[in-house]
Parts: sequence; C-alpha cells; structure tokens
Amino acid sequence: MTLESLIPLLVILPLGGFALTALVGRRLGKQAHWVPVLAIFAAWIIAMALTFQTLTGAAPLLPGSEDAHGYAVHWFTWIPAGDFVVEVGFLIDSLTACLLIVVTTIGLLVHIYSVGYMSHDPGYWRFFAYLNLFMFSMLLLVLADSWLVVFVAWELVGLCSYLLIGFWYRRRSAALAAKKAFIVNRVGDIGFALGIMAIFVNTGASAEGATMNIRLSIHRMLELGDANPIPLFAVALLVFAGAMGKSAQFPLHVWLPDAMEGPTPVSALIHAATMVNAGVYLVARSNELFASAPDAMVIVAAIGIFTAILAASIAMTQTDIKRVLAYSTLSQLGLMFAALGVGAFTAAIFHLMTHGFFKGLLFLGSGSVIHAVHDEQDMRRMGGLAPKIPITYATMLIGSIAIAGIPPLAGFFSKDEILAESLKFGFWWVTGIGLFVALLTAFYMFRLMGLTFWGAFRGPKAIWDRIHESPRVMTIPLILLAIPSIFLGLFLGLPLGDSRIHQWLAPIFHHATEELLSLPEEAYALFGVDGVLILASVTVAAIGVVLAWRFFGADLGSLHLPARPERVREISARPGLAFLYRASLNKWWFDELNHLLFIIIGGRIAAALWWFDREVVDGTVNEVGQLTVGAGRGLRRVQTGRVQNYALGIAIGLIVMAGSYLILAGNPR
Amino acid sequence: MRSKILPILLALIVLGAVLSIAGLMLVLLGQDWEDALFWILAAVMLGAALLVVTMRDIIRCGLAMIVSFMALAGIYVLMGAPLLGAAQVIVYIGAISVLILFAIMLTQTKDAPSRLVFQTQAVPAAIAAVVVAVLIALAVSATDWAELSERVRLATSVMSRVLFEQFVFPFEIVSVLLLAAVIGGVFLAKREPGGPS
Amino acid sequence: MSNSLDAYLILSGILFAIGSFGFLARRNAISMLMSIELMLNAVNLSIVAFAAFSSLPDAQAQGSVIALMVMAVAAAEATVGLAIVIAIYRNKKTPLVDEYDAMSR
Repeated sequence: MTLESLIPLLVILPLGGFALTALVGRRLGKQAHWVPVLAIFAAWIIAMALTFQTLTGAAPLLPGSEDAHGYAVHWFTWIPAGDFVVEVGFLIDSLTACLLIVVTTIGLLVHIYSVGYMSHDPGYWRFFAYLNLFMFSMLLLVLADSWLVVFVAWELVGLCSYLLIGFWYRRRSAALAAKKAFIVNRVGDIGFALGIMAIFVNTGASAEGATMNIRLSIHRMLELGDANPIPLFAVALLVFAGAMGKSAQFPLHVWLPDAMEGPTPVSALIHAATMVNAGVYLVARSNELFASAPDAMVIVAAIGIFTAILAASIAMTQTDIKRVLAYSTLSQLGLMFAALGVGAFTAAIFHLMTHGFFKGLLFLGSGSVIHAVHDEQDMRRMGGLAPKIPITYATMLIGSIAIAGIPPLAGFFSKDEILAESLKFGFWWVTGIGLFVALLTAFYMFRLMGLTFWGAFRGPKAIWDRIHESPRVMTIPLILLAIPSIFLGLFLGLPLGDSRIHQWLAPIFHHATEELLSLPEEAYALFGVDGVLILASVTVAAIGVVLAWRFFGADLGSLHLPARPERVREISARPGLAFLYRASLNKWWFDELNHLLFIIIGGRIAAALWWFDREVVDGTVNEVGQLTVGAGRGLRRVQTGRVQNYALGIAIGLIVMAGSYLILAGNPR
Repeated sequence: MRSKILPILLALIVLGAVLSIAGLMLVLLGQDWEDALFWILAAVMLGAALLVVTMRDIIRCGLAMIVSFMALAGIYVLMGAPLLGAAQVIVYIGAISVLILFAIMLTQTKDAPSRLVFQTQAVPAAIAAVVVAVLIALAVSATDWAELSERVRLATSVMSRVLFEQFVFPFEIVSVLLLAAVIGGVFLAKREPGGPS
Repeated sequence: MSNSLDAYLILSGILFAIGSFGFLARRNAISMLMSIELMLNAVNLSIVAFAAFSSLPDAQAQGSVIALMVMAVAAAEATVGLAIVIAIYRNKKTPLVDEYDAMSR
C-alpha cells in the first residue's frame, strides 16, 4: 500500500462519513459526531503525509514538468465518448498541497469545535453529515485534474453552502440567505460553465481533439495562441466570473454577509477558510491562462482591490460581530484577487493560507463569544468580556493582531508581500489602495475588540452573571489555530527575498511570471523599496490600531483607555462623514439596487412576458380552436332538416356541373 | 257574384285573344297552321304551368294543372302520337289530377288566405330555375342532332305491336307496380282504428 | 317551328324549369307534388320529341311506349305520395312542409 494509493481515500472517507451519518445519524443522537470526526482525522493524516512528501520534493516528478513534484493519479474513466474522453483523476502538486494544509486542518478543527458548539442543537447529526459532505466536495475540488470534475465539485460546494447556511431552516431569514447564496453563486457559475465550454471549443480546434484535463487543455490553448476560436481573454474572464461568484467579489458579493445566518462553525469553515478560497485556487490553477491575457488580469486586479476597499468601508460601521468578520473576509479576498491580478500568484496563495488560519480563528472565537453571552450577536450589547472569557479573549486578540498586519505575526508577511509585488510590477494604485485598506482593517478589528472585550458590559445583568468560558472542546481548536496565526508567516515568509513558500510554488508559477508576463525579478532590497514598504504597512496598521483605541477604548496590559462613544457619534455626524457613515451602514445600498433591478424591474418584465404568453401565444392557440368551433357552428346551418333546401342544393349542384361542362368543353356551334 | 263571373270572363277574354292571334298568324303572316297550333298550345301549356306554381289557392292550381295537361296532350297529337295524347288525357287528367284534388280536399286547413305562398328560399329557387332553363336551351341549341327534317307520324297499330311484343314484360311489371301503389296508398291513408278522424 | 326538334326540347326544358321552381319554392306539400307532375310531363315530352324525330326504324314506337310507362309510374308515384301527405296531415294537422321540423333543433 503506497501513499499514492491512499489518495482516493481523501475523498472517499468524507463521503463515507456523510453517507453513514445521513443514514443512521438520527439514531446515534449525541454520538453522531464520532464517525465524521474520525473520517476527517484520517483524511487529515493522509493529507499531511502527502503534503510533506510533495513539498519536500520526495514525491515523484509530475509528467510534463522538470521541477514540479507531486502525484498524478488516474482513478476512472468517466465519459468515454469516441474521440472525447473525460478521465477522473487526482493531481497533487505544491499548489494543491498548500490548499490541502488549509482545508484539512481547519476542517478538522471546525469539526471538533462543532461538537461543543452544536451540542444543544436537535439537528446535531444533520450538521455533521453536511459538514462531511462539504469536506468531500472541497477536497474533490482541490484534488481534481479535470475541468468537469472541478465543476461538479464547484456545484457540490455551493449546494453544501446552501444546506449549511439554511441549517436552521425554520428561520425565515436563514432560508432566504441560503437561497440568496445559491442564486448569486449560480450567476457566477454560468460564467464558469461558459468558460469550460469555451475551453472545449478551443482545445477541440487543435489536431489532438478536445481535452478536459486542466494542465493539457491550458497548454494546448497556449500553443494555439491567436488561432483559438474563442480568444483567451474571454476564456479567462469567464473563468474569473465563476471565481467571482464563489469568492464573493463585486458585484456578486451580496451573499456573503447574509450567509452569517448559518451556525458559526459554518461561517468559519466555509465562508472564511475553504469555500471562498475556491475562486482564488481556480485562478491560481489556471495562472498560465490568465498570464496569456494580461488585460484580463488587470480587470481581476481592479475588481479585487475595489471589493477590498468596498468591504472594508462597510465593516467600519457594522454592529453584528459576525458581519464585521464577514466583510473583513470579503476585503481580504479582494486583496488576494488583487494579488493574482498583478501577477503575484505566490503572494496570493501565501495570504490565502495565513488568512484561512487567522480568519478561522476569529470566527470560531466569535462563536465562543456568542456562546458565552447566550446567543447575542450585537456588539452594542457586549463589552468588558475579557476577564470572563480569557482564552477566547487571548486567542481573538492574537487573531486581530495577525489580521491587522503587525509583525511578526502571520498577516504582516503575506499582506506586505502583496503590496510589495504590486508596486514592483507597476500597479502603484493597487499598492496605494491596499495600504488604505490595511489601515481600515486594523481600525475595524480593534473596534471589534474594543466593543466586545474592553470597557463596560452594556447588556442585561442577568446575562452578565451567566457568562462563562466555553468548554475545552471549543477552546482547544482556538488555541490550535492561534499557533499558525503567530508562526505561519515566519515559517513561510522567511528568508526574505527567497521565502520558503516562494520555493514551494515557483515550479507552478514561474512559467507564467517569467516567460508569459515577463515580470521583473528584482533582488530583495531591504533598504530600498521593500524596506520602505515594510515601514509604510506597519505605520498604517499602527495608525489604525491607535485610532480604534482612541474611539473604542483599550484595556491591554498597562494601557487603559476609555471608550468614547459620544466622540464617535459626533464625528459620524459631521457633514461630509455623515453620508459616508450612512452609506457604510447600509452596505452602499447594493441589496436595494439588486432588489430594484431584478425583483422590481425584472418582475415587471416577467409580468409583461407572462401577459404576452397568456394573451398572444395562448390567445392564438385558443383562437384557432375558436375558429374551428365557429366554422362548425356556421356550417351547421346548412343542415336545416328541410328537404326543399336540400333539393335547392341539388339544383345548384346540377347548374354548376352543367355550366362548367358547357364552359370548359366549349360550344361546338 | 261578381267574383265568380269575373274570372270566367277573364278566361274567355284570354282565350279569344289567343285564338285571334293564331288566326292573325295564319292569315296575315301565312304561316303553316301546324306552326301556329304549336305556338298556341305551347303558350297555353307554359302559361298554365306558371299559374300552377304561382297561384295562392291550391284548388285553382290544380285546375290550372289540368289545363296544362290538356295542352300537352294537344302537343302530343301534333307530334304524331295520338294514342299518347289520349293516354295523357285519361291518365293524367282523369286519374292523377282527380286524385290530387281529392287530396287537397282532405288536407284543407282553416286559415287559408293569410298564409305565405312561397318559402324563404323562393328567390334563389327562381334564379336556379331560370338558370336551368337557360342552360338547357344553350345545350340543346348547341348540339347537332342527327335528325330527320320531318317528323314521322306514328300509327297506333305499330305502337301497340311494339308495346305487346317488345315491352310486354315491362307492361306486366307496371301493372304490378300500380297494384302495389294502390294497396300502399290505401294502407298509408287509412285511418287509425279508434284514432282521431 | 313545329318541325324542329330544338323547339320541342326547349319547350320541355322551360316546363321542367317551371316545375322545379314550384317544387323548390312552394310551401304546400301537394303543390310540390303537382310541380313534380309537371317535371315528369316535361321529361315525357322530350322523350316523345326524340322518338318523333329519330331516324331509327322502331324508335318512334319505342319512344311512345316508354312515355306510356313513365305515365303509369307517375300515376303510381302520385298515389303513394298523396297517401303519405294525407297520413302526415293527420299527424301534424298542416300540409305545409316548412312546419315539418321535428328533426331539427
């Protein structure tokens, strides 16, 4: 039994866990978590082994590459259709390995956390079944080597998201949020499907025929170049459309905040660490395709950075603790796409990994907070929780520092790399906006800390007396997540200039960056551009933190600052800022715009079309029927029942026949 | 009193007019007397036929029909078939017309004068009749009949020989047919025993 | 004129047309039967006319005999027809054909 043969187990174990729990879970009651958790644990072990082998180079060389190690396993032939054959197989290279680290580790920790968080829920078994189904879909997505399998997994992940967001289906808002997520995702999926069809058309134009293998199809399209029937620019944008839907980029971002209706472990797993990263993974996997269409990459970068600042601006005024984190996720995803768009693929994946860990930590921590204050999610009714829930407080503080980008925690390294690369590749506007986003990020995260953990408690006294720390099964995952939040940046980002993650991912991306895009490869200048940027990013982070402290208070070690809500109110009422405040609070009215466009205008169009269908189409058909009936009614009047009328008919017939014979046969006079 | 004398007077005047026209034709125009006779008989026959189909009172229609048959008998004689002319008078006038008059008597209704004479389809019927007549006239005049220039007078003995030698079978069949018709007629027109009169 | 076949045939045609008009347009059933008799007479006339002007040896006699048969059949037909009219009259109390409408509606 080689390690390679264990690869299919990565997807079979979660699938089996789902099937078993779905079938007999109800009867297992409180014990329903054992099978799913153990399945994921086993998958985690296998994944870690494979990852280790791949990243250290112990794995065999991949076909078609001189420096990429990994495993390419063929599982079965799915669609044998004459010349067009679709195979299902798995590809594990360094990129997949990085994703596997994030997906399986956070997946496992979320499973363990859910044992405590969902313990009082009657749908306990259902939750674990769905979680396992999701793990199956996500692992299939990152392991697949064929576009069609990716698409299947893509849709499955969307389905699991729907099931889990609407887990408390009796709650109307949850059901609506689940529908919204699915529908908005679907819009993006249309683009993705069109992209896959375009790939089929393009690869079918080559002599070897169409192929759905990701690597082979991209290479074939690059060979064809301008001979592609559908230009690569269009194909790249279509694929990006799918990524936009799944990773909630503008304008398909509207579903992610509403997705917070689901249980907090769901938010942590799906909407912070795994599913929303699928879009980033997709673009990274097709990096050569995008690199062949630089204009598409600019569009990606523009949309990404715009989403980043849009979401950050909204997060500044939200009062629901989970919403703040949701918009934060949107903002960081935007930064990742900005990185992809400027050509800093490695930086994007780096940020994906660090963000997965500290955002997962923040979400699970917020879940612990919500659990402590007995299902209260509004920060205006929290405050001063630090002494009561110390472990949660400590880990969330670590997470906040990490996301704010303060060295030496993880977020600093990845965020700084994005900013540096974008500046070096010439996208100074991305760097500028990115620095501003970093400031906003630091600000709203410490606003969250201030409102939640510092100052005085603003909720009812009855709740205050019952606040307690979460059980160990919930706090241990928090601690375990805090460790990579501190050290992952150091581990992956050093040594500066030729970081470990750079070494890992170079075989994947160097063709795109060096040959297709010809991006400048400058040496790391600690006392030049890079040093200035480090200074700049640390400075803006510090400014953000200090501003937050001044408005919302701080209670950190020897630092004691009071919260000043009246100052906040005063500033947000100033003429120019008042509009911004309202816009931010209302999420820039995008939901209202969508409602107007699709519900109202779309509804009117649909009503008009329905009128057309009813009156014109059905009317025509009915008229034909009426015509027949009318003609019948008219003809019926010939049957009078009177012999003389019939005799007249005979006479007329006689006249007609004789007359026509006379006329036609001529008069031989 | 007046209403009874007036029609008779009218009929006499018409008869006199016709005869004088005939005499005029004979004397003034020097036509053959057979031709004049043909015209007179034809006029009488067609005129009477028109009266049959247009008069309101059915009994008067029946009487006009008798006049028409009479004229037709005359035409038969003119054509050289005197036996047929005699048969026409005996059968049609003597039997059928009497039968019709009896039937009229048996089916009289009380509200005689105010009824409509014609149906709603009278006008199309008139047009159709005219067109039929025109068609026949056209067809007839357009055809080249292989005919004798002179008609042949038929001797009665020849006809009787043909009747009883060649046509004896149809002759007997017709007898049976007449018997069946008589029996059928009696049966159909019989009153129900104990039914309404 | 009396020597031409055409004249007799046209005369027969006009008589037939008059008879058919009467048949189609009159309301009284017995009027219809009288019109039928007129039509039969017109046909008889044309048969005899063809026979009288025919060049075949036996044609004249045969034509007359046929006309005789027609007359007999007409008599039979008139008998039965009138019997029917009388029977219907007894049922419907009217000799007018446009009031025999039990089958319509």
